[in-house]
Amino acid sequence: MMRTALALAGREMIRFVRQPQRVAGTVLQPLLFWLFLGLGMGNSFRPSGMAAGMEGISYLEYFYPGIMVMMLLFAGVFSSITIIEDRDAGFLQGVLVAPVSRLAIVLGKVLGGTAIALIQVVLFSFAAPFIGLMPTAGGAAMLVLGFILTGLGFTGLGFVLAWSMRSTAGFHAIMMVFLMPLWMLSGALFPTGGAPVWMGWVMMVNPVYHALNMIRLPFYQDLATLWSNGAWLTSLAVTLAWVVICLGLSMVRVERRERGA
Amino acid sequence: MLQLINVCHTYAGGRKKGKDGTVPRPALTDVSFTVPQGEFVILSGPNGSGKSTLFRILCGLTLPSSGTITVDGLDLRTQMAAIRPLLGVVFQSPAIDKQLTVIENLRMQADLYTLPRRELTARCDEVLAWTDLKERLSQRVETLSGGLARQVELAKVLLTRPKLLLLDEPTTGLDPSSRRNFLMALRKIQKEQGITTLMTSHIFSDAETVDRVAILRQGQLLACDTPAALKCTLGCEVVVIVPRNPEEFARTLRDNLSYPVQLCGDEVRVEGLGLGAGVPLLENIMDRWRGEIQTIALKKPDLEDVFVHVTGQVEQSRSEGEQP
Repeated sequence: MMRTALALAGREMIRFVRQPQRVAGTVLQPLLFWLFLGLGMGNSFRPSGMAAGMEGISYLEYFYPGIMVMMLLFAGVFSSITIIEDRDAGFLQGVLVAPVSRLAIVLGKVLGGTAIALIQVVLFSFAAPFIGLMPTAGGAAMLVLGFILTGLGFTGLGFVLAWSMRSTAGFHAIMMVFLMPLWMLSGALFPTGGAPVWMGWVMMVNPVYHALNMIRLPFYQDLATLWSNGAWLTSLAVTLAWVVICLGLSMVRVERRERGA
Repeated sequence: MLQLINVCHTYAGGRKKGKDGTVPRPALTDVSFTVPQGEFVILSGPNGSGKSTLFRILCGLTLPSSGTITVDGLDLRTQMAAIRPLLGVVFQSPAIDKQLTVIENLRMQADLYTLPRRELTARCDEVLAWTDLKERLSQRVETLSGGLARQVELAKVLLTRPKLLLLDEPTTGLDPSSRRNFLMALRKIQKEQGITTLMTSHIFSDAETVDRVAILRQGQLLACDTPAALKCTLGCEVVVIVPRNPEEFARTLRDNLSYPVQLCGDEVRVEGLGLGAGVPLLENIMDRWRGEIQTIALKKPDLEDVFVHVTGQVEQSRSEGEQP
């Protein structure tokens, strides 16, 4: 099964690097977004209720992990859109009739999408030292764990949504009214402390909020502190559950054969 | 090898009942036939006859509403995982990745079917032998012509040495010479390796050399026999007339001749003629009704005539059945 999943994931990578516009777009767009918004908002940013070690940080620094989550969101979701293209082009039916475990079909797409997301976000993380963010070695390892889980979560979620979609236009609509708001209400753009109370609650149950925690905290805390930090552990549990649920749902969708009445 | 028993399929309607396209729609009704080991069968029928539905069912993408299908004794409903390795499927829309090269597509297929890697080179040589792709292995499929892309598709499917080959209008979009080359290669390989093959097509010249032809219309199997036997049902010769007033002329002929007369669109066909009966009949018709006739021809029935005959008859019996 792994051979098939890896072959399918490898195909995703080949297709990604053979589309230079896609590579440039996914790396440059977040970078510009981060620099423009980060520098522009800098003087207006007066956060309250920040976690220990984060008091008085610049908006550029605050927004940095948020932009990483956005990169993972876009990369994951755009990988899932290729399901719709694969179906239209006919490639997907060729895979579906092959003696391939249905889990391998899901994993092929999700691992491929996550790998692409990882490359982008790791490239982007080279900007961290320039804004004075230097995680410890243990922190960096947990950061990568955060990248991987968030990537799997978004790609998995994209898979579930894209599987039954017939057009990429429909998927873009879902992206704008469902996925982008999830990101906006994750604390990526503004801290939960400053939002109205009800919005604060929505933010807390939002899995993307927990994904962001998994990516923000390791910049400020070392391995031992993270593993004794209730907030980080909760976020780890929520993100893991999100990944497992999305992969499970994807499996169910792929396994379902169209039925007659 | 492949057996269908009373296969029925109805597309479920949508949630809003009563509106167009949302009521349950039968696509296949009691379809039964068998394809013995090593035979090449063409499944034919007009658009909307249920060919594609049957094809989707056979390759395991759709579950039929009722009926039994077995492939090599395995039940398609419950043992699909065991059936998949035996199948080779060529879809109407090519299931190859255009952004990958020819060899990358073949490798992908090998990975999907977990073909041992050490066998890959030998298998590739085997399936590429008849193609024009040998010099183009590292070319991306999007840069190939339609005919060559189809060759990649067939080579890819043959790589796993399928026992049952299913093809859905594989020659769509090909020019006549590419189509001919594709079919000749397919037939040759199919015979050499004894692959049981079911291909949907509505190009009747494709069907002349196959073992059997099945004709589907409005979800019902109307005929399934060898091309020769099917042609015999029409007699040795057919007179095809295009009259000025087809309906009236068909009535006139039915009243005056002892042969079966069929009205198909603008044409009136006189069928069931014994050997040598055609010319005298043609002369007789010309003598009596020359003024009514625009064109008239005498021909040996081909599969297209069988198709017109079989599907036209159903139309006739249906419209008769609807009369009070």
